[in-house]
Amino acid sequence: MRTMMPVVLLICAGATIGYAQADSAADAASKIIAMEHVWAQAYMMKDPRALARILDDAFVCVASDGKLMTKADVMADVKTSSALQILTEPMVVHMHGDTAIVVGAFRTKGVERGKPYARRERFVDTWINKNGQWVSATTMVTLAAE
Amino acid sequence: MSATGWVLVCACAALSIAYAQEAGEDGSRRAVLAAEQAWSDAEARGDIRALDRIFDNALVYIENGRPGTKGECLSRIRSAGAHARQIEAGTTRVQIFGSTAIVVGNYRDVGGAAEGKILRRRWRFIDTWVNKQGTWLLVATGAAPLAR
Repeated sequence: MRTMMPVVLLICAGATIGYAQADSAADAASKIIAMEHVWAQAYMMKDPRALARILDDAFVCVASDGKLMTKADVMADVKTSSALQILTEPMVVHMHGDTAIVVGAFRTKGVERGKPYARRERFVDTWINKNGQWVSATTMVTLAAE
Repeated sequence: MSATGWVLVCACAALSIAYAQEAGEDGSRRAVLAAEQAWSDAEARGDIRALDRIFDNALVYIENGRPGTKGECLSRIRSAGAHARQIEAGTTRVQIFGSTAIVVGNYRDVGGAAEGKILRRRWRFIDTWVNKQGTWLLVATGAAPLAR
């Protein structure tokens, strides 16, 4: 029995660590999805302030027309956003330690140069954990095929 | 040791740490660029086994507006066979965030076909690599066609 006890304790400790890791990964994924919603909201409200915290200073975006944008470009773009409605579809988060990949799609309705438009776009975002804070490092957006 | 001596020691230590970090980042940058090249070469010759080692099992990508997984990507390359995609790399920039590397750049299709169409377009891409147990693995990639 005495020899079995350390083994049992180690198994319990291992299971606890495994459970805690799975739990923290799920927590991180929830936080990241919440920030993705804040991002979409910022575009609708034409308010870039929330993005200042969400986007890393070295953030880069490749837009659906291939245009390369920095954090400053995106924040300026938000102020002149033509989007009236952005509906995000369910997202999938893949956790890789301090890196998270989010794949999703969103539908945008708005008015551009007096003409209404509706489009569906897909994205892949990379988030990194910097000193306990998740920030977006990249986003890649393309027009959805269907 | 005098106060000035301590200041000098601290300054030297800080410089050494900064230098070591930069040297480490340079090494990571080189390793990631080599992995990008290995990926491009393996795709051109349809080398599924090499690609299997380069792609993380949870790889996700977006191509032509469609999302895909590692399995789907390998299957597409396998079926392309002799019509494997060939690209000409353009400018590329690597940013290192610890064990994560972001590669942003552009390329041009110079051969091969996708879905029966000959490719001749220019693309801008973002690749994300993660260092897992000393090996850089591709975890996400996406490309958007550059406006003509």
